[in-house]
Amino acid sequence: MDSITQVSIEFSRSHLVFPTLIACILGLLGLSIVATRWRKIAQTGPYMTDIFAKMDKPRLFGTLALTLIYFMAMVPVGDIWPNTGRGFLICSIPYVFLTGLLFMHDRTLRNSLPLIVMALIAPTLVWYLFTELFFLTLP
Amino acid sequence: MEFLASISPLFIALTVGGTFVGIIFGSIPGMTATMAVAVCLPLTYSLGLENGLGLLLGLYVGGISGGLVPAILLGIPGTPSSITTTFDGYPMAQRGEGEAALRIGIVSSLVGGLISLIALYFFAPALADFAIAFSYVEKFLIILFALTVMAALSSDMLMGIFSGFLGIFISLIGAYSIQKGGNGELRLVPPGTEYWLDSGFSLLPVLIGVFGLAAILEEAAIGMPKGQTRDDVKIEGARNFNFSVFKGQWINTLRSSSIGTFVGILPGVGGSAASILAYSNAKSFSSHPETFGKGEPAGIIASESGNNGLTGGALVPLLSLGIPGDATTALLIGAFTLQGVQVGPLFIGNNPATWDAMIFAMLLANIAMFIMMFYAIRWFALVVTIPKHILFPIILMMCVIGAYTINYGIMFDVWTLLIFGIFGWIATKIGIEIAPFIIGFILGPAAEIYFVKSIESFGDLTIFFTKSWIAIILWVLIAASLIGSAAMARKRQRMGAHEEDL
Repeated sequence: MDSITQVSIEFSRSHLVFPTLIACILGLLGLSIVATRWRKIAQTGPYMTDIFAKMDKPRLFGTLALTLIYFMAMVPVGDIWPNTGRGFLICSIPYVFLTGLLFMHDRTLRNSLPLIVMALIAPTLVWYLFTELFFLTLP
Repeated sequence: MEFLASISPLFIALTVGGTFVGIIFGSIPGMTATMAVAVCLPLTYSLGLENGLGLLLGLYVGGISGGLVPAILLGIPGTPSSITTTFDGYPMAQRGEGEAALRIGIVSSLVGGLISLIALYFFAPALADFAIAFSYVEKFLIILFALTVMAALSSDMLMGIFSGFLGIFISLIGAYSIQKGGNGELRLVPPGTEYWLDSGFSLLPVLIGVFGLAAILEEAAIGMPKGQTRDDVKIEGARNFNFSVFKGQWINTLRSSSIGTFVGILPGVGGSAASILAYSNAKSFSSHPETFGKGEPAGIIASESGNNGLTGGALVPLLSLGIPGDATTALLIGAFTLQGVQVGPLFIGNNPATWDAMIFAMLLANIAMFIMMFYAIRWFALVVTIPKHILFPIILMMCVIGAYTINYGIMFDVWTLLIFGIFGWIATKIGIEIAPFIIGFILGPAAEIYFVKSIESFGDLTIFFTKSWIAIILWVLIAASLIGSAAMARKRQRMGAHEEDL
């Protein structure tokens, strides 16, 4: 009985013990899910098609695209004026404005004015707060 | 009275201000208390621990309480924990009793918050004293128990357990921490990503991603529902609020607050479970259950005292065991990490001033919430009209700031935010439960250390069963939670089949 329960862990390989155990448990749980819900899983295709058909694709993918561009542009723009946080400031203003415009329903000039004001004020305020008051680095 | 030193005008202003902002977050459908804490977390950097916690606890109490405003006025829960408030609050508002319904909810929220605060004050230190003696074995079993309780209370137990273990698996990416007794070797790191993933994914960008970005992606996916106009929000009516509505309801209030507190103490179980349990109990014990769902004040009392009862309860396991009671308190771990303070059994004993300041902040936040909402409810009701197309882009920007500054300027943390934002959105579509995933992610590294060190020390797997009587009790609790959950699932299935037959 002792030989079955006794385990020794070699220190040099100790980093693999727990991940292996968790991977095995995940595998077993995954198999149990497939075994008990195979009918539901078989219907995943139509379910996903339905979700895709109902979603607001321009808003969702537009948000993702704008966010990707925002993240990618921040560092190169910031490198022009290193350690000033201007990369964040310069990229955040159009990002806040464009995502706001994307989320807006009635895109009129009158509705856009508060958004323009907020897109200018909010990033500037946050930039000032973090760089000038908190002394934290921004890109 | 050492804590009085940390009670500065700034501390009071941050707690009250946090409560105010929290109410606004809670009042806007699609924005939650968790999101409020996630977005404001980076602001706590330079505030110090007590001041930062004052702000975050204010946001927490305000966020949970604010959810009742749209729940009653629009029939849309502002936060998941106010789902049951819509059942009776909205019918009351429709028949011109909106203001009365709101004030019933506010008073119930205060009572729920205060009762849970008393439980926190007395229970957390006692549990911490008890837990100090725990060895690695008991600590590992506590984490296992936390995961099974969470999974057991998930809508789908198997998916709940899977989500918890998936969270643990993801948390193990990176080096086996030398500081915690590991060997410093990398694992689960794809080739070429060693530079970024040496320490794995940072906790806060992950949290901000799944609770902040994912929620906004979901709103975008459903077409960013139009906000309400002033005409949609009518709170004046024929019937005004009177405290006599609570006559004969004190047992309901106390029971619901206690249920909320108890649910809060269970690790990882959120406010929606607290209010649903409190509501269904109030309905079962009521002498006229048929009125529930048609504008019964007792329903609002149960729901709101239940979800605010959660606030103090959820801090009990966090401050005594280091295990978050719900998703929002999981974020509070981030605030402690930022200040280099570890939460666990030693926290209260080693930081009495911080502990007292937290209790004071919770008390102040509850009172501030009551005063602000009770007397200015007509103004808060208008919060639901703030356009989302202005708020959400700013929140997105704040998410980026939070992720970037968390480790003092690492761009990979911003990409982590995006990765987990997308993951959080997809997860809800494929049945992965976010709360167990996050608790698994937070507790995974500690679970590894406790498990591996237990085996290294004792060299025998039976030690997990034979170490102490506490270990045996924990195994009994783990088994009970799994068996209880399986029985409940079977009952639900049978009821479903019975309904289909009919």
